[in-house]
Amino acid sequence: MTSNPADEIRIQTEGDIVLTRRVVREAATKAGFGNTDVTRIVTASSELARNIFKYAGGGVMRWRSLEDNGRRGIELLFVDQGPGIPDIELAMQEGYSTGDGLGMGLSGAKRLMDELEIQSMVGQGTTITLKKWRQT
Amino acid sequence: MSDDNISVIKVRDLLMVTMPPDPDDPTVTALQEKVLNAMERYEAKGVVLDISSVETLDSFFARTVSETAQMVTLMGGRTIIAGMRPAVAVTATEIGLSLGNIETALNVDRALDMVAAKSRPKKLR
Repeated sequence: MTSNPADEIRIQTEGDIVLTRRVVREAATKAGFGNTDVTRIVTASSELARNIFKYAGGGVMRWRSLEDNGRRGIELLFVDQGPGIPDIELAMQEGYSTGDGLGMGLSGAKRLMDELEIQSMVGQGTTITLKKWRQT
Repeated sequence: MSDDNISVIKVRDLLMVTMPPDPDDPTVTALQEKVLNAMERYEAKGVVLDISSVETLDSFFARTVSETAQMVTLMGGRTIIAGMRPAVAVTATEIGLSLGNIETALNVDRALDMVAAKSRPKKLR
Protein backbone atom coordinates (compact mmCIF):
# COMPACT_ATOMS: atom_id res chain seq x y z
CA MET A 1 0.00 0.00 0.00
CA THR A 2 1.32 3.42 -0.96
CA SER A 3 0.93 6.07 1.66
CA ASN A 4 0.85 9.71 0.84
CA PRO A 5 1.84 12.28 3.45
CA ALA A 6 -1.04 13.21 5.70
CA ASP A 7 -2.49 16.66 6.21
CA GLU A 8 -3.80 17.75 9.57
CA ILE A 9 -6.28 20.16 11.13
CA ARG A 10 -7.00 20.89 14.76
CA ILE A 11 -10.44 20.35 16.22
CA GLN A 12 -10.74 22.72 19.16
CA THR A 13 -13.88 24.77 18.70
CA GLU A 14 -17.44 24.19 17.55
CA GLY A 15 -16.52 25.95 14.32
CA ASP A 16 -13.86 23.31 13.68
CA ILE A 17 -16.65 20.75 13.19
CA VAL A 18 -17.72 22.78 10.15
CA LEU A 19 -14.08 23.12 9.10
CA THR A 20 -13.70 19.33 9.31
CA ARG A 21 -16.70 18.82 7.05
CA ARG A 22 -15.36 21.30 4.51
CA VAL A 23 -11.87 19.84 4.48
CA VAL A 24 -13.16 16.27 4.21
CA ARG A 25 -15.61 17.21 1.46
CA GLU A 26 -12.78 18.73 -0.54
CA ALA A 27 -10.40 15.82 0.11
CA ALA A 28 -12.99 13.15 -0.74
CA THR A 29 -14.04 14.96 -3.90
CA LYS A 30 -10.41 15.31 -4.92
CA ALA A 31 -9.90 11.60 -4.27
CA GLY A 32 -12.53 10.94 -6.92
CA PHE A 33 -15.51 9.84 -4.81
CA GLY A 34 -19.00 10.43 -6.18
CA ASN A 35 -21.50 12.68 -4.47
CA THR A 36 -23.22 9.98 -2.37
CA ASP A 37 -19.92 8.61 -1.07
CA VAL A 38 -18.66 12.13 -0.38
CA THR A 39 -21.81 12.74 1.68
CA ARG A 40 -21.27 9.45 3.57
CA ILE A 41 -17.65 10.33 4.35
CA VAL A 42 -18.45 13.92 5.36
CA THR A 43 -21.31 12.77 7.61
CA ALA A 44 -19.13 10.18 9.38
CA SER A 45 -16.42 12.83 9.86
CA SER A 46 -18.92 15.26 11.29
CA GLU A 47 -19.96 12.72 13.94
CA LEU A 48 -16.37 12.01 14.97
CA ALA A 49 -15.31 15.67 14.96
CA ARG A 50 -18.23 16.49 17.25
CA ASN A 51 -17.28 13.62 19.58
CA ILE A 52 -13.75 15.02 19.85
CA PHE A 53 -15.05 18.52 20.55
CA LYS A 54 -17.65 17.42 23.08
CA TYR A 55 -15.98 14.56 24.92
CA ALA A 56 -12.22 14.91 24.48
CA GLY A 57 -11.74 18.66 24.76
CA GLY A 58 -10.16 18.81 21.32
CA GLY A 59 -7.85 16.85 19.08
CA VAL A 60 -6.74 16.61 15.48
CA MET A 61 -7.89 15.06 12.24
CA ARG A 62 -5.33 13.71 9.77
CA TRP A 63 -6.25 12.61 6.29
CA ARG A 64 -4.52 11.17 3.26
CA SER A 65 -5.36 9.41 0.06
CA LEU A 66 -4.71 5.67 -0.20
CA GLU A 67 -3.65 3.39 -2.98
CA ASP A 68 -3.59 -0.38 -2.69
CA ASN A 69 -3.25 -2.68 -5.71
CA GLY A 70 -5.00 -0.20 -7.95
CA ARG A 71 -7.67 0.45 -5.33
CA ARG A 72 -7.95 4.08 -4.37
CA GLY A 73 -9.41 5.48 -1.24
CA ILE A 74 -9.17 7.88 1.64
CA GLU A 75 -8.06 7.50 5.24
CA LEU A 76 -9.14 9.78 8.06
CA LEU A 77 -7.66 9.68 11.56
CA PHE A 78 -9.36 11.35 14.50
CA VAL A 79 -6.86 11.63 17.34
CA ASP A 80 -7.41 12.99 20.83
CA GLN A 81 -5.81 12.91 24.26
CA GLY A 82 -9.16 12.81 26.00
CA PRO A 83 -10.52 10.45 28.65
CA GLY A 84 -10.54 7.42 26.33
CA ILE A 85 -13.32 4.91 25.77
CA PRO A 86 -13.50 2.32 28.58
CA ASP A 87 -15.74 -0.12 26.73
CA ILE A 88 -15.38 0.09 22.97
CA GLU A 89 -17.95 -2.62 22.27
CA LEU A 90 -20.52 -0.76 24.32
CA ALA A 91 -19.65 2.55 22.67
CA MET A 92 -20.17 0.96 19.25
CA GLN A 93 -23.70 -0.12 20.10
CA GLU A 94 -26.40 1.78 18.34
CA GLY A 95 -28.24 4.06 20.69
CA TYR A 96 -25.52 4.02 23.34
CA SER A 97 -24.59 7.52 24.46
CA THR A 98 -22.90 9.07 27.46
CA GLY A 99 -23.95 12.52 26.36
CA ASP A 100 -27.07 14.05 24.97
CA GLY A 101 -26.59 12.72 21.46
CA LEU A 102 -28.57 10.05 19.70
CA GLY A 103 -25.89 7.46 20.29
CA MET A 104 -25.58 7.17 16.54
CA GLY A 105 -22.15 8.72 16.20
CA LEU A 106 -19.83 5.72 16.21
CA SER A 107 -22.21 3.04 14.97
CA GLY A 108 -23.44 5.37 12.24
CA ALA A 109 -19.93 6.31 11.14
CA LYS A 110 -19.03 2.63 10.91
CA ARG A 111 -21.96 1.94 8.63
CA LEU A 112 -21.08 4.80 6.33
CA MET A 113 -17.42 3.82 5.93
CA ASP A 114 -15.70 0.62 4.78
CA GLU A 115 -13.46 0.39 7.80
CA LEU A 116 -13.55 1.88 11.28
CA GLU A 117 -10.90 1.04 13.84
CA ILE A 118 -10.74 2.32 17.39
CA GLN A 119 -7.64 2.40 19.55
CA SER A 120 -8.27 3.80 22.99
CA MET A 121 -6.59 3.86 26.37
CA VAL A 122 -8.45 5.19 29.37
CA GLY A 123 -6.80 8.39 30.53
CA GLN A 124 -4.57 8.51 27.43
CA GLY A 125 -6.82 9.20 24.50
CA THR A 126 -8.44 7.73 21.45
CA THR A 127 -7.50 7.27 17.80
CA ILE A 128 -10.25 6.38 15.38
CA THR A 129 -9.25 5.41 11.86
CA LEU A 130 -11.78 5.58 9.04
CA LYS A 131 -11.25 4.22 5.56
CA LYS A 132 -13.35 4.33 2.45
CA TRP A 133 -12.45 2.75 -0.89
CA ARG A 134 -13.64 3.91 -4.24
CA GLN A 135 -15.87 1.50 -6.08
CA THR A 136 -14.21 0.45 -9.30
CA MET B 1 -21.32 34.88 7.75
CA SER B 2 -24.82 36.09 6.99
CA ASP B 3 -25.45 33.35 4.44
CA ASP B 4 -24.99 30.82 7.24
CA ASN B 5 -28.16 31.96 8.91
CA ILE B 6 -31.55 30.37 9.00
CA SER B 7 -34.19 32.38 7.20
CA VAL B 8 -37.76 32.41 8.53
CA ILE B 9 -40.42 34.02 6.37
CA LYS B 10 -44.13 34.05 6.98
CA VAL B 11 -46.22 33.19 3.91
CA ARG B 12 -49.95 33.25 4.56
CA ASP B 13 -50.47 30.91 7.54
CA LEU B 14 -47.12 29.21 7.16
CA LEU B 15 -43.54 29.71 8.16
CA MET B 16 -41.07 29.06 5.38
CA VAL B 17 -37.82 28.11 7.06
CA THR B 18 -34.70 27.72 4.95
CA MET B 19 -31.58 26.04 6.28
CA PRO B 20 -28.14 27.10 4.99
CA PRO B 21 -25.96 24.46 3.25
CA ASP B 22 -23.55 23.76 6.09
CA PRO B 23 -24.75 25.25 9.38
CA ASP B 24 -22.56 25.09 12.49
CA ASP B 25 -24.00 23.61 15.70
CA PRO B 26 -25.08 26.94 17.25
CA THR B 27 -26.97 27.75 14.04
CA VAL B 28 -28.71 24.37 14.15
CA THR B 29 -29.55 24.91 17.81
CA ALA B 30 -30.99 28.34 16.98
CA LEU B 31 -33.48 26.65 14.64
CA GLN B 32 -35.66 25.57 17.56
CA GLU B 33 -35.98 28.97 19.17
CA LYS B 34 -36.41 30.86 15.91
CA VAL B 35 -39.16 28.57 14.68
CA LEU B 36 -41.07 28.38 17.96
CA ASN B 37 -40.92 32.11 18.54
CA ALA B 38 -42.10 32.77 15.00
CA MET B 39 -44.95 30.27 15.46
CA GLU B 40 -46.19 32.32 18.38
CA ARG B 41 -45.54 35.76 16.90
CA TYR B 42 -47.20 35.06 13.54
CA GLU B 43 -49.83 32.64 14.83
CA ALA B 44 -48.66 30.26 12.14
CA LYS B 45 -50.43 26.99 11.37
CA GLY B 46 -47.31 25.16 10.38
CA VAL B 47 -43.74 25.09 9.18
CA VAL B 48 -42.22 24.12 5.87
CA LEU B 49 -38.57 23.38 6.54
CA ASP B 50 -36.59 23.68 3.33
CA ILE B 51 -33.41 21.60 3.55
CA SER B 52 -32.77 21.48 -0.19
CA SER B 53 -29.40 23.15 0.14
CA VAL B 54 -28.30 21.06 3.12
CA GLU B 55 -25.34 18.87 2.19
CA THR B 56 -24.81 16.99 5.43
CA LEU B 57 -27.45 15.82 7.89
CA ASP B 58 -25.66 14.25 10.83
CA SER B 59 -27.24 12.85 13.98
CA PHE B 60 -27.11 16.17 15.85
CA PHE B 61 -28.83 18.04 13.04
CA ALA B 62 -31.43 15.30 12.60
CA ARG B 63 -32.19 15.21 16.31
CA THR B 64 -32.70 18.97 16.40
CA VAL B 65 -35.02 18.88 13.39
CA SER B 66 -37.03 16.03 14.85
CA GLU B 67 -37.34 17.72 18.26
CA THR B 68 -38.31 21.02 16.67
CA ALA B 69 -41.09 19.28 14.75
CA GLN B 70 -42.35 17.71 18.00
CA MET B 71 -42.40 21.13 19.63
CA VAL B 72 -44.27 22.64 16.70
CA THR B 73 -46.83 19.83 17.09
CA LEU B 74 -47.21 20.71 20.78
CA MET B 75 -47.94 24.28 19.72
CA GLY B 76 -50.68 23.05 17.40
CA GLY B 77 -48.70 23.30 14.19
CA ARG B 78 -47.62 21.01 11.41
CA THR B 79 -44.10 20.49 10.07
CA ILE B 80 -43.19 19.41 6.57
CA ILE B 81 -39.56 18.79 5.70
CA ALA B 82 -38.97 19.65 2.07
CA GLY B 83 -36.23 19.01 -0.43
CA MET B 84 -33.94 16.43 1.13
CA ARG B 85 -31.18 15.71 -1.37
CA PRO B 86 -30.78 12.11 -2.62
CA ALA B 87 -27.31 11.67 -1.09
CA VAL B 88 -28.58 12.99 2.23
CA ALA B 89 -31.56 10.58 2.16
CA VAL B 90 -29.22 7.64 1.45
CA THR B 91 -26.85 8.63 4.25
CA ALA B 92 -29.58 9.33 6.79
CA THR B 93 -31.14 5.91 6.16
CA GLU B 94 -27.84 4.06 6.36
CA ILE B 95 -26.84 5.79 9.59
CA GLY B 96 -30.20 4.81 11.09
CA LEU B 97 -31.60 8.28 11.52
CA SER B 98 -35.31 8.47 11.89
CA LEU B 99 -37.28 11.65 11.56
CA GLY B 100 -40.18 10.00 13.35
CA ASN B 101 -43.57 10.82 11.96
CA ILE B 102 -42.61 14.11 10.37
CA GLU B 103 -44.20 14.74 7.01
CA THR B 104 -41.83 15.13 4.10
CA ALA B 105 -42.10 16.51 0.60
CA LEU B 106 -39.93 16.34 -2.50
CA ASN B 107 -39.65 20.11 -2.60
CA VAL B 108 -41.27 23.27 -1.28
CA ASP B 109 -43.83 23.28 -4.11
CA ARG B 110 -45.08 19.84 -3.14
CA ALA B 111 -45.10 20.81 0.53
CA LEU B 112 -47.40 23.73 -0.28
CA ASP B 113 -49.65 21.36 -2.29
CA MET B 114 -49.90 19.15 0.80
CA VAL B 115 -50.88 22.07 2.97
CA ALA B 116 -53.44 23.29 0.43
CA ALA B 117 -54.97 19.83 0.08
CA LYS B 118 -55.48 19.51 3.79
CA SER B 119 -56.86 22.98 4.41
CA ARG B 120 -59.23 23.07 1.43
CA PRO B 121 -62.81 23.39 2.69
CA LYS B 122 -65.02 20.38 2.15
CA LYS B 123 -67.43 20.58 -0.74
CA LEU B 124 -70.92 21.61 0.09
CA ARG B 125 -73.50 19.00 -0.65
